[in-house]
Parts: sequence; structure tokens; C-alpha cells
Amino acid sequence: MPAILEFAELVRTFGGLRAVDGATFEVGSGSITGLIGPNGAGKTTLFNCATGALRPDSGRIVFEGGRLDRKPPHRIAREGLVRTFQTARPLTRLSVRENVMLAGRDQPGERLTGWFFHSKAARRREELVRKRADELLALVRLDSHADAYAGTLSGGQRKLLDLARALMVEPKLVLLDEPMAGVSPPLRVELLNHIVALRAGGVTFLIVEHDLDFVMQVADVVVVMNEGRVIARGSPDDVRRDERVVDAYLGKRHEAVAS
Amino acid sequence: MSTLASGGFWAFVFVVAGIYTIFALGLQLQFGFAGLLNFGQVAFMAIGAYTMAILVVKEQWSMWLAAPLAVGAAAVGGLLLGLPTLRLRADYFAIVTIAFSEIVRYFATNDDTLTGGAQGTINLSGTGVAAQYDTQWQRFQTHVQSSLGLGSRDAAMLVLVWGVAVTLLALTWIALRTPWGRVLRSIREDEDVAASLGKNVFAYKLQVLAVGSAFAGLAGLFYAWEFSFFSPDDFEPLITFFAWMIVLLGGLGRVWSVPVGAILFGVIFAGTRFFNFAPFSYFGSADRAYLRLMVIGLIIILTVLLRPQGLLGRRQEMVLE
Repeated sequence: MPAILEFAELVRTFGGLRAVDGATFEVGSGSITGLIGPNGAGKTTLFNCATGALRPDSGRIVFEGGRLDRKPPHRIAREGLVRTFQTARPLTRLSVRENVMLAGRDQPGERLTGWFFHSKAARRREELVRKRADELLALVRLDSHADAYAGTLSGGQRKLLDLARALMVEPKLVLLDEPMAGVSPPLRVELLNHIVALRAGGVTFLIVEHDLDFVMQVADVVVVMNEGRVIARGSPDDVRRDERVVDAYLGKRHEAVAS
Repeated sequence: MSTLASGGFWAFVFVVAGIYTIFALGLQLQFGFAGLLNFGQVAFMAIGAYTMAILVVKEQWSMWLAAPLAVGAAAVGGLLLGLPTLRLRADYFAIVTIAFSEIVRYFATNDDTLTGGAQGTINLSGTGVAAQYDTQWQRFQTHVQSSLGLGSRDAAMLVLVWGVAVTLLALTWIALRTPWGRVLRSIREDEDVAASLGKNVFAYKLQVLAVGSAFAGLAGLFYAWEFSFFSPDDFEPLITFFAWMIVLLGGLGRVWSVPVGAILFGVIFAGTRFFNFAPFSYFGSADRAYLRLMVIGLIIILTVLLRPQGLLGRRQEMVLE
């Protein structure tokens, strides 16, 4: 699988703390890659660097052959790398439909005078955007809530809205930050099915998740981070058997106890 | 009570309300729709008024050229303020804006040769000659009065101010219903999310700051024409907070709440002059002038406590998390 996203010797420090400390790995195009590691391993910092929210101190992030690490977040999103957030972040005082429509691309009406001076193109685009937004809302079964304020949605529904909104950007790669956190069991199955179906449609996923069962179930490749570095990368089965991974999660002393 | 019955008095109240509508609409656009906390709006009113007066008096420009240029100058002032500061966090940005408005006022007070200094525009062409920047405007006002067959020049001013105010209100109302307005509201809700979906948050904030400043500049022009004289004292930070009161009183995130808030403000502001009965009569008239500020402060507090959505806002929008 050719790489769609590569991290090379990425470093990001906060004062004396080396949150990401020379992480190197790649995400195969069309894969579902799981990124796991104990708390403080640097997963979220790495995410924030990839989406432009943080600037790395050194190292490179390459997306489809182009450098990402000096670009602002909105440019990165437009190139097709879109994220969701650890806690879902609906735009509460916009309607559910507006949340999704907002994410539509190439809307000339988003320019200050666009609606007035490119009126035809903007209106045509708006119609398409609305249609696509309704399709995505139907996909995640939020269509009956389309006109409600997004702030009225439940926690699980907010996660689904985040996903629909990210998909509206027509991403090539979606970064999911703990998609399963705070999601009820039936909704988990639904989210999982969406991810698998979308991957079949050509979208690549990089998923940070604490729920290891979920990661092992859905991911083709699992990357394990600890203390800012990548300590293992491989199929779920390989990673499960990897001593270093077990050490990182449980601490070294378990060997002594076991033997 | 004879004042209360006079048409001239009420025309004045409504002209001021119209000027404040234009002024506060800029603030509503910035804060109510894009979440920008601007405490220095009065600076752009000052820039508009001074630019026009200086160009007319010192450079003998036609009012018809000086006025649009003054509005442009206010917009450029907004851009210049925004470029280095808009990346600051919201609360720091707010502090910078109030500092900026004080810098503008102090500058106008101290640069006598450019602005006439503390004595105001009467001193614009140097001592000894009382400068006037509104002769052309007065002629225009009279012209409007006679061609519309209005009873007084005050009525002409009323028509002019509210004509402009309603036009701007309508334009803003339409603009906020376009995809552009949707991006603004998304920035108000969560600018990180807006950026993560490909929206250039900084560019939108800059646009909104420039447009809101242009509105303030325009309000500054009408202010200058209505009073025929102004000085740096007219642009104290208090004026910005009057606009804040209008926005809060009318309701956040609504366009037509601005004129409602402004008219109410005008009535309260003018109405408190008539507090000449007990217990207010125990104070001298000069002290009573400060009472109105206290009353206005009290109204802001009560609005926020009892009706946080303002008169026309939606309660539900206040409780969503």
C-alpha cells in the first residue's frame, strides 16, 4: 500500500516535555490505521500537528507527496485531511443541517460579496451542498433532526454529526480522535459499520482510540506509541503479541510477576 | 413637560437612535454573528468623523468625496487593528481594542494641528477662525427637506439617517443568510471547528472587523453632521458601551433587534433628563446627568440577569451547550 500520510522524525515539545519525540510512521492509502498507546504517549499532539493546530518543532509531515507541517488548518482540510475531535464539537446554535452544509467545499457564496456577485454559481452550489448534506444526514440517521439546533443532540448523535460533517469536506483521509469514547454499544456498531463502508469507498482512516477491542477489530494496521515515539507497527495480531507493547501498557514488572 | 410634547425633541431622540443603530449594527455583526469581542468600536466612529472634517476644512474637499473616503479610512483602521491582533485569544483581543480606542482619542486630543485638539473641530483651521465642516451638508439637508416637502430640517435628518440605517440593516440581514453568514456563525460557535472544515477564520474575522468599522465610520459622519461640532470628548469608551447596551438589550445574534435596542436606548437616555421629581430632585442637575449612566448600567445588569436573550433574542440559544 502506498503511503498517503507520512510522519518523519516528528518532534513537538511543551517546555521540557517532549510530547512527540521523533515519531516516524506512515499511513497506507486506503487503510484503516489504528494509533494506540498509553495516556501521554503523544497521540493527540501528533494529531494536532497533522491538522495544523500545532506546529512541530522539527520533522516532516507529508500528505500525498506535499509537506503539511507549515500549513494552516484550513488549508490542510481543503487538501483532504479532515479530523474529528475527542469530544464531539457541534456548532450548537446552528441547525444540524447547517453544521453539515457549512463543511461543503468550493462555495463561491462564502466570499463576502459572493452571494451577490456570483449569485447563480453560489445558488447552484448551495443546492448541491444541501442535497449532499441531506444524504449524509440520512446516512448517519440524523435526517429527522436536520432542522433542530445541533445543541439539542445527544452525545452519541453529536459523534455522528461530527462524522457527517467531516465527510462533507470530501476527505481523502479522516483522522478520528477517540470515536468510541462516550458512545453507547448500539451506536458503536453503527459507527464501526460506517467506517468500514467508507473505507470500501476509498477513504483512509487514522484512528486514535483507547478501546483496544475496537481497534483490533477494525484496523488493518496498528501503530503503537509510547513516550512520544513509535514502538511498534504491524497487523493487530503482531502488535498484540509484541513484548514492547505489553510492556508499554502494563509496565515492565509484569514479567517478573508472571515468571 | 413642554419639551416632551415637542416634535423637535422626539426627532432628535430618533435621529440619535438611528445613528446608534448604524453604530451598534457593526458591533452586532462582529460579536453577535462572528463572536469578535470589540470594546473599541468608538475609535472607528472617531476616525470617520475626523477624516471627513479634516478633509473638508483643511483640504477643502467636497463633502461627497470626503465622506466615502472617511468611511474607507475607518474600514482601513479596522484592518490595521485586526492584522496584528486578531490571532490573539478573544479576551486579549478585547483589551487591545479598548486600548486602541483610547489611543485614537488621545491622539485627537494632543495633535492640535491635525485635529484641533481638545477644543474640537471649531479649532480645525487654527485659532481665531471658527471652522465649519458641514456647510455643504446643511445645504443638502435643506434640499432634501424642500424636495420631500418636510416640515423641518430635523425631519430631513430623520429621513436621511433612517434611510441609511434601514438599508444597512436589510443588507446585513440578507448577507447573514448567505453561506458567508453561515461561516461567520460557525466561527462564533467554535473557530477551531470552522478551521478544521477548511474555513479561513482569520480572513473572515478581518472582513467583519473592516465592515463593522465602516459602519462605525458612517455613524461618525452622521454624528458630526447632526451636532455640527465635535471634540475628542465625544469619543470616550462609554460610547462603545452604549452600543453594547443596545446590542444586549435588543438581543444578540439578531439584525432587527439593533434598531429596537437603539430606540429604547434613545428613549431611556433622553427620558432620564426628566427625572426632576423626588427623590431625584434632591440632586443638582449636574449630578442628575450622571444618574442616567447609573440607570443605563442598571438596565444592562437586569437585562443580562432576567432576560439574557434580550428583547428579540431566542431564549433557547442561550441555554444550548
